Amino acid sequence: MAALCTVRRRWRKLKCLQIFTRNLTGSYDYDLVVIGGGSGGLACSKEAAQLGQKVAVLDHVEPSAKGTKWGLGGTCVNVGCIPKKLMHQAALLGTAVKDAKKYGWQMPETLRHDWATMAEAVQNHVRSLNWGHRVQLQDKKVKYLNLKGSLLDEHTVRGLSKAGKETVLTAKNIVIATGGRPKYPTQIPGAAEHGITSDDIFWLNKSPGKTLVVGASYVALECAGFLTGIGLDTTVMVRSVALRGFDRQMAGLVTDYMEAYGTRFVWRSVPKRVDRLPSGTLQVTWSDTGTGREHKDTYDSVLWAVGRAPETKALGLDKLGVQLNQETGKIVVGPDESTSVPNVYAFGDIGEGRPELTPTAIRAGKLLAHRLAGQSTDLMNYDNVATTVFTPLEYGCVGLSEEEAERRRGKDGIEVFHAFYKPLEFTVAERDASQCCIKVICERGGDQKILGLHFTGPNAGEVIQGFSMSLQCGATYRHLLQTVGIHPTCAEEVVKTHITKRSGLDPTVTGC
Amino acid sequence: MGVLKIRRLLCVSLRSKLAVIKASTWFTARKLIVSTPRRHELIRRSMASNRASAAETTRFDFLVIGGGSGGLAGARRAAELGANTAVIESHKLGGTCVNVGCVPKKVMWNAAVHAEYLHDHSDYGFATEKVHFSWETLKAKRDAYVSRLNQIYRSNLDKAKIETIQGYARFTDDPEPTVEVNGRKLTAPHILIATGGQPSVQSDEEVPGASLGITSDGFFELETLPKRSVIVGAGYIAVEMAGILATLGSKTSLVIRQTGVLRNFDAFISANCTKELQNNGIDLWKNSQVKSVSKTDKGLEVTIVTKDPEKKNDEKISTIEEVECLLWAIGRQPNTSGLNIGSMGLDTDERGHIIVDEFQNTSRPGIYAVGDVCGKALLTPVAIAAGRKLAHRLFEGKKDSKLDYSSIPTVVFSHPPIGTVGLTEEEAVKSHGKENVKIYKTSFTPMYHAITSRRSPCIMKLVCVGKEEKVVGLHMQGLGCDEMLQGFAVAIKMGATKADFDNTVAIHPTSSEEFVTMR
Repeated sequence: MAALCTVRRRWRKLKCLQIFTRNLTGSYDYDLVVIGGGSGGLACSKEAAQLGQKVAVLDHVEPSAKGTKWGLGGTCVNVGCIPKKLMHQAALLGTAVKDAKKYGWQMPETLRHDWATMAEAVQNHVRSLNWGHRVQLQDKKVKYLNLKGSLLDEHTVRGLSKAGKETVLTAKNIVIATGGRPKYPTQIPGAAEHGITSDDIFWLNKSPGKTLVVGASYVALECAGFLTGIGLDTTVMVRSVALRGFDRQMAGLVTDYMEAYGTRFVWRSVPKRVDRLPSGTLQVTWSDTGTGREHKDTYDSVLWAVGRAPETKALGLDKLGVQLNQETGKIVVGPDESTSVPNVYAFGDIGEGRPELTPTAIRAGKLLAHRLAGQSTDLMNYDNVATTVFTPLEYGCVGLSEEEAERRRGKDGIEVFHAFYKPLEFTVAERDASQCCIKVICERGGDQKILGLHFTGPNAGEVIQGFSMSLQCGATYRHLLQTVGIHPTCAEEVVKTHITKRSGLDPTVTGC
Repeated sequence: MGVLKIRRLLCVSLRSKLAVIKASTWFTARKLIVSTPRRHELIRRSMASNRASAAETTRFDFLVIGGGSGGLAGARRAAELGANTAVIESHKLGGTCVNVGCVPKKVMWNAAVHAEYLHDHSDYGFATEKVHFSWETLKAKRDAYVSRLNQIYRSNLDKAKIETIQGYARFTDDPEPTVEVNGRKLTAPHILIATGGQPSVQSDEEVPGASLGITSDGFFELETLPKRSVIVGAGYIAVEMAGILATLGSKTSLVIRQTGVLRNFDAFISANCTKELQNNGIDLWKNSQVKSVSKTDKGLEVTIVTKDPEKKNDEKISTIEEVECLLWAIGRQPNTSGLNIGSMGLDTDERGHIIVDEFQNTSRPGIYAVGDVCGKALLTPVAIAAGRKLAHRLFEGKKDSKLDYSSIPTVVFSHPPIGTVGLTEEEAVKSHGKENVKIYKTSFTPMYHAITSRRSPCIMKLVCVGKEEKVVGLHMQGLGCDEMLQGFAVAIKMGATKADFDNTVAIHPTSSEEFVTMR
């Protein structure tokens, strides 16, 4: 203890000296130090370097509770968008096999899927991306430091290596982009001990087997979707509603489709405990909040997808007085990504109220780099950001949900055009299309400006991007009417919608 | 021609003498004069002028010749607006699109896409044993689906109280435009010609044995997968047919007159598509034409003459043997023969398409045309939109209701698919000047192929003009491009600029996000 104190004292002395000399000379090691090498941090640091700034980026991956680690690139590349979309593709191929039979392809009745083959291919791709990011930083002359960063003051960052070696960097500006990590529930015995999260699932070398996914966020549903798709017995346990924050009707269609697709759902239930049985399988006890009854079942894996928490604890923010949201633990940020402390900025998943999406982090990071380099004053526009949920039936949306539009404009202030369509792909394949739906939410008066657009169906991500751009340009319902359709596609159904909810007419699309 | 013109003048003067109310306002006028003594007078007069036949002539408000996409859309909209409507169809309801076009074509394309997936299965962890493709199963399913659509169209017409008349329509020589079907005379103040088109064929005089081949119509009748196919043509139909056949396992050759396919598309797309066809194992015969075709007991023997573009007079003659399917995809022609449009005095272009103005008016008042028969933008949604716009103009009094033919998006279901809207770079340079055109391009491997051994790139191009960089053209080929285009087409129709693309936040991970992150 005494030794520690001396170290601390010495450290303080050293720090004072540093600050003293720095204030005297007015020079820093770097123009910009970015903590966090995820989508946002990398984009921001590369952009700043391109603009002539001297930049360092610190990245360090704290292994998950199960010991999973990965390389540079953050959540998106390693344990998010990229591996999940690839596994979603694998699941789609599983569905394609069933369709293919109807399309005249004759093959054996049962189809086996090998987790290890898929996981290895996915992991190799992720590693190639890790490497790509390293190379890019080098090319763009960004100093990459594999260190765990924390703040000492508004100009000083301390980096700690895995071996415990310390490096101190000074910078004119500091940007925090450390993102977030999946949470474990704290009150459930055995949860952390026996459960995994989305940090682990993509890096398993063995199939997770029969899996219980707890939670109903998009992460939960996407994971459950691809696990079902590759043939695993998968159950989702939902406490209240699925896809909170998304349009209610569309969220319902997404889960309806999943149920029809083979994913089991246990609604209105909360897990109580997880025990490992002598056989090695996990016994989960849960209670139905409606009936109050307790139930039990066994699984090979339990995946917690009960939310994500920001990586703020180890950053030393409290000492500096960086204001956090007490509830979420996220950093309170202004429209220019500034925190309550001058010269310290934060954006991406760690910023309070920001969408947890890679492209917004990338865009915000680039714009921030431009502002910090004094090249522009443009702020990030967080409106009309489109997003897609890669569930078995994909769901893409941009703008307001029907509930939010109603809340803002009143029921009489909006006009909802809707259509239930059958993708041509589904017809010969004899697939049920009752969940393929399009909803265009417009202002009721004038040219009927579009407030929100929702689409469930194949290729939703590819469909919704162009429409999100038209919303960005201020599209109205009239603009949709003026655009000729592309036949036969699913996307054309958007420009063909003409039945309003108010009319009560049947929104099912018939014929061309 | 002179005779025709005189006849037309005569018709017009006759009409005015008979004091028939002007065609464009007839419908609204009719409503006003319903059960007034004048109406009876009018009918008596027209009967008097046409003594023999008038008694049997059935009158409608709107008479549509052709039950394809354009005709049906126009008829249904007119009926919704209160017009007493009839549709004349000689074949199956639904026209080219439903029976021998978009719909069965895309079903076949989907089947071919499954073949591509099968290649990728092992890369994604699925154990795939030997699979076999049954063309017969597919055709039965496809035909069943098409018949279901035919029935849906029929019941849609019935529900809308539209009379469906089966048979061939022919304009009579009556002074008032009248159509005869199976001996029955029909007339209306508004007659819409929506007879569409059909594949062009080579005559046996031009190419001996040409008639041994089929067209895209015949493709949909094939009962088995041809082992060996030869497709002639470089347009989108040739590209689609060749792609489907090759991907489903037919050894396929494509014979084109020049060096690339899709020559009226942006050069970037044309070059890439030509390359992709070859990557997909299609045997491409450039600078070539079919010289003759003969039949042997092992199939067709197709003789091809290939020119050396360097040496003008150097020709090489080759033969492809044991061909099971020779498919001509050398263009389409309007369906006007038998209609007797000559006697109606309708102006046509040199290829026989009916000439219409921006409101779909032909040169004869009271007669209109939409869709492929006009030869402009041969696309189902174009015909549908034009038919509906016309119905609103004629029966709802919306004088300005017309279709804007600019920036119409279109997709080619090649492998991988092509999406395009607006001007090609060449067209933009021509109309705006080279110095005012800025091009953005990108090429990448879609993430789907990140872990597959089969790879095909996605290419994208934006054609921008002026200081504000207005996007006037968007062209792409790659996985998913078919579903990507529609939303961008809305934005381009709205006059989107490159800055609007830049201001749109991407959706990750998709291919379409590359359009909004292009530099």
